[in-house]
Amino acid sequence: MVRSLHFPSKTPSVSRFLFYSFFKTLVGQQVTVELKNDLAITGVLISVDQFLNIKLDEIKVVDEARYPHMIPVKNCFIRGSVVRYVQLPAQAVDTALLQDAARREAQQPTTAQQGNVRVK
Amino acid sequence: MSELQPFIDHSVSVITADGRFIVGTLKGFDQTTNIILEKCHERVFSQTGTEVVPLGLYLIQGDNICIIGELDDIRDANLDLANLCADPIQAVKHSH
Amino acid sequence: MSDVVPAPTTAVPAPAPETNAVEEPLDLVRLSLDERIYVKLRGDRELRGKLHAYDGHLNMVLGDVEETITVVDINEETYEEVIRTVKRNSEMLFVRGDGVILVSPPSRA
Repeated sequence: MVRSLHFPSKTPSVSRFLFYSFFKTLVGQQVTVELKNDLAITGVLISVDQFLNIKLDEIKVVDEARYPHMIPVKNCFIRGSVVRYVQLPAQAVDTALLQDAARREAQQPTTAQQGNVRVK
Repeated sequence: MSELQPFIDHSVSVITADGRFIVGTLKGFDQTTNIILEKCHERVFSQTGTEVVPLGLYLIQGDNICIIGELDDIRDANLDLANLCADPIQAVKHSH
Repeated sequence: MSDVVPAPTTAVPAPAPETNAVEEPLDLVRLSLDERIYVKLRGDRELRGKLHAYDGHLNMVLGDVEETITVVDINEETYEEVIRTVKRNSEMLFVRGDGVILVSPPSRA
């Protein structure tokens, strides 16, 4: 199992990088992608890009009786913008490492304007 | 983003954001998933069978694309579309 | 599985000391890491789960998630609205940030 997230220092959009790196560690795992049109597809994660577009192999639609449309499709490209959830195998996720990476990313200067927040 | 490169000149099925199902040969794509489909047709699904509507050459704008699937030509040829009964795929909801 | 070489430590800028100060909205989310949070999503969906990661788009990874979907059925005879909730569980879930309406940290009472 891959147990490291790799963070090059100069990335234009740091924000995009955490989950891009994270998904790359999950290549080869079986995941279920649920889309905003309620279609859910299970398959082996082949690749992901910076937009979090996802490619799956050996796909199967979760509710095949209702959605026979995809029967002749063996692998597919899913546009990141239409993803609602991705269900992941928990044993493939190193949560401590992931939390560290999220904290580290939070330290990076962001392009967002500094907010004005008061919480006691 | 060259994830679509392996699909070039292959038969693909595209599900659009409004729930349409378009089949054709992928001839081109760009960064934002704009794609060119050659010799394409739409499959209109219903509970009384599936109708095939010829379309020709299409450019589909990336924001309107949901899934691009690589068709297994043999499996696809074996489909009995006229007797394949299914509800249309829903549109993508970004609402509420 | 392949081995990924860890990034050389010199490639990572020295992080500022982590503080508990809340200076921008996302700091509130940062302080909720490793805690159970509540997330309200578009489409009448709610999640409760342990926050493992987030980014500036509010993409998130949650563990031990309970999802609650609220569905309004209309009774065909009386046209009455019947509200029904569906619950689902998943052990590990990536949530795309564009569907997130709000995030609420654990009670700090």
